[in-house]
Amino acid sequence: MKKLPRRDKMKIYGDLLSILNETSSEKIVLTRIQLKLNVPFDRLKTYIAEVKELGLIQDETSLKLTNKGKQYLREYKKVLDFINQMGLTYQ
Amino acid sequence: MEDIALILVEAVSAIICFFLLWFMIKPYRVTGESRYIGLPLGFAFLGASYVFMGLSLYFESFRFVEEIKWLQLFTEAYAFAFLATMYFFSKKPSERSRLWLNLIYAGLVFAAVISYLVVFEDPVFALPIYKTVQEYFKIFNIICLAYISFYTLRSHASNPDPKTIWIPFAYLLLSFSQYSFLIWSIDSSYAAYIGAHFLRLAFLVIFLFVSYRAFYVPLEKPRKMETSNEETAA
Repeated sequence: MKKLPRRDKMKIYGDLLSILNETSSEKIVLTRIQLKLNVPFDRLKTYIAEVKELGLIQDETSLKLTNKGKQYLREYKKVLDFINQMGLTYQ
Repeated sequence: MEDIALILVEAVSAIICFFLLWFMIKPYRVTGESRYIGLPLGFAFLGASYVFMGLSLYFESFRFVEEIKWLQLFTEAYAFAFLATMYFFSKKPSERSRLWLNLIYAGLVFAAVISYLVVFEDPVFALPIYKTVQEYFKIFNIICLAYISFYTLRSHASNPDPKTIWIPFAYLLLSFSQYSFLIWSIDSSYAAYIGAHFLRLAFLVIFLFVSYRAFYVPLEKPRKMETSNEETAA
């Protein structure tokens, strides 16, 4: 089985915010997010607490993105797109 | 008149290069990955090399004009070395490769400082003939750029997207530009010299276009996401 490359926190935060942004707030199920993000459940909880502390999500129950979170996600996606266009990869 | 045009081309190239720096530093600032530092470093050195070239053309009778020409030669080579190193290590984010990358970057910076000192310490280290060394440096630049072009082209081939073809094309133009400079250095062909400047400007314009599109043209996906959020809220 091919081993997945290790992700840094920036990538995990970006992926988490992206998943939260794509999921409607009524349908949020943590286990589904955990599967999509591919991290253990306890670590998912830690990441959620961390992005909350950074002010990127409103609270740990609704998991709605704040304006700061949306802005971060937009910048993050633009940079990823730029990295991709430059012929580089971000794992 | 020709000199003024060439100085203008060098000035425009340097301005575009330093403007591109602002975009090139973003991957490093957002991700915090040291492997992307080669991108801004490469463009900073490239911009500095155009400044040195412009200065050497402007101050033709200046006392240190030969030294400035040498600085330009070194600086340009370091720019391509930084870019090639970054592409070489861009797919290997392991601890060992990170260590190698940092060592190489540190080595390049150290070599840059030493070479700049050597240029101004003429009595201790007698410099070889500029023209011959210039040809070797151009060959080194072409090798670095050929590797980068091949790498970016392979990256495009593995994930075909119309947006990703521009950068390998731009790097190819820059390698042709270096090749034209080499031809000019060997047989003093004026057409090759002018062509090299045009190709270099084309490279910079493509990079400006790609950077502008990446950061200022809205992505398609977020628009869809916003729509889905609005639907949810409704």
